[in-house]
Amino acid sequence: MDRISPLISTSTLLWFIFVLYSFSKVYGNSEGDALNALKVQLSDPNNVLQSWDPTLVNPCTWYHVTCNNENSVTRLELGNASLSGQLVPQLGQLMNLQYLELYGNKITGKIPKELGNLKNLVSLDLYMNQLEGRIPSTLGNLQKLRYLRLHHNTLTGTIPYSLTTISTLQVLDLSYNRLRGHVPVNGSFALFTAMSFYHNPGLKLPVSSSGPIKSMIFLRRRTRMMINLRSIIIACNILSRDEKFYEVYESHLQSSAVEDVK
Amino acid sequence: MTTEWNHVTVISVCLYILISIACNNAVESDINCLKSVKASLRDPENLLSSWDFSNSTEGFICRFTGIECWHPDESKVLNIHLSDMGLIGGFPVGLKNCTSMTGLDLSNNRLNGPLPTNMTDIVHFLTTLDLSSNNLSGEIPVSISNISFLNVLKLDNNRFTGRIPYELGGLSRIKEFNVSNNLLSGPVPNFGPNIKADSYAGNLDLCGGPLQRCEGEPSKTSTVVK
Repeated sequence: MDRISPLISTSTLLWFIFVLYSFSKVYGNSEGDALNALKVQLSDPNNVLQSWDPTLVNPCTWYHVTCNNENSVTRLELGNASLSGQLVPQLGQLMNLQYLELYGNKITGKIPKELGNLKNLVSLDLYMNQLEGRIPSTLGNLQKLRYLRLHHNTLTGTIPYSLTTISTLQVLDLSYNRLRGHVPVNGSFALFTAMSFYHNPGLKLPVSSSGPIKSMIFLRRRTRMMINLRSIIIACNILSRDEKFYEVYESHLQSSAVEDVK
Repeated sequence: MTTEWNHVTVISVCLYILISIACNNAVESDINCLKSVKASLRDPENLLSSWDFSNSTEGFICRFTGIECWHPDESKVLNIHLSDMGLIGGFPVGLKNCTSMTGLDLSNNRLNGPLPTNMTDIVHFLTTLDLSSNNLSGEIPVSISNISFLNVLKLDNNRFTGRIPYELGGLSRIKEFNVSNNLLSGPVPNFGPNIKADSYAGNLDLCGGPLQRCEGEPSKTSTVVK
């Protein structure tokens, strides 16, 4: 009996150590799990996520991931990586994330509202993708955000007024989307000109005292381009003798010119 | 069949040319803007040596000293920050081609001469214009009042003369306005309570607004500003 009880307690102790070790491995890797959830939702034809091994203790050795001294993810840099698929709510768990760079891909779906949890985010670059749905008003919680670039997507709905409370915002680009409604001009948005909101057909740009001059300058630029385009079209028409092509393109140019002057 | 194939080729080539012209229009203009700025200013301390136009990859001007782009992938200038670089010359009118620029800081240089009268055509979308601490002279152009998105306008420590255009008071987004230490006189614009007397210090005969009231005749002695 005396010989057996030390044996039992030692093995019990060893068992506890083993169990605790396994648990710590699981919890210590929650950021890796979040990133792995993203990997699962993305299609990656160029294998840029090949190094993303979820069995490692943390994701800090993964390519395109940068960590701080405490092995917590600070940067995710996957710009121009030919990725498609969708974003995941788990991205909101990366508490120390400062740079979220997912621009220039073919990502579809919505912007997860959980991104509003990323209190330390400095740069949110989702531009040049195929994102749809609204800009979540939770992004107004990103009180350290400096760069918000969502241009060239198919985002709809209105611009959340909560964004005007982000006093650190330096660069805002929401152009080339399908946003509608009024553009806020208060708070941090006093710093942003019409250029941050161009090419949103349903969006009412801020009224300025130089309204006519502004659209004149823009029209002047477009007119220069149009003259070039027109002469090329005429040349093409002569070369190809395709009357139908000329008509279709001419009407398209006319309708987009009217849109741009507004 | 040969005619059909030629048909398709011609249309494809034409479409390609059309699309490249449409896409590159803004980018080329920004590159020309910076080339023109570098050409029109003397740079005795050679601080613009990083402005090398020979290797033109996508977004290359974004790596130039003092240049901030809208985003790193495209040569579209957002801000120019060339403060304290010993630059000599007149206000670079080539900036007209930086059509997306919202911030311009040329403070603490040796810029001279008058500002162009058509400022609104050259730098229309500025939210910040800082030309302070240079040798600029002449009158402050009225057209600045049409740069409607201006939040910050700093013209202090130059040699501007004449009146401050009253129309500048129409700039609805102004948060900071400073014309101190110039040679200005006459009534100041009506900016409201946010612009205080120290914005006007060190001039000749400014009056009105936060300063002493303008009387019928301009006083012959310098205005004492609190």
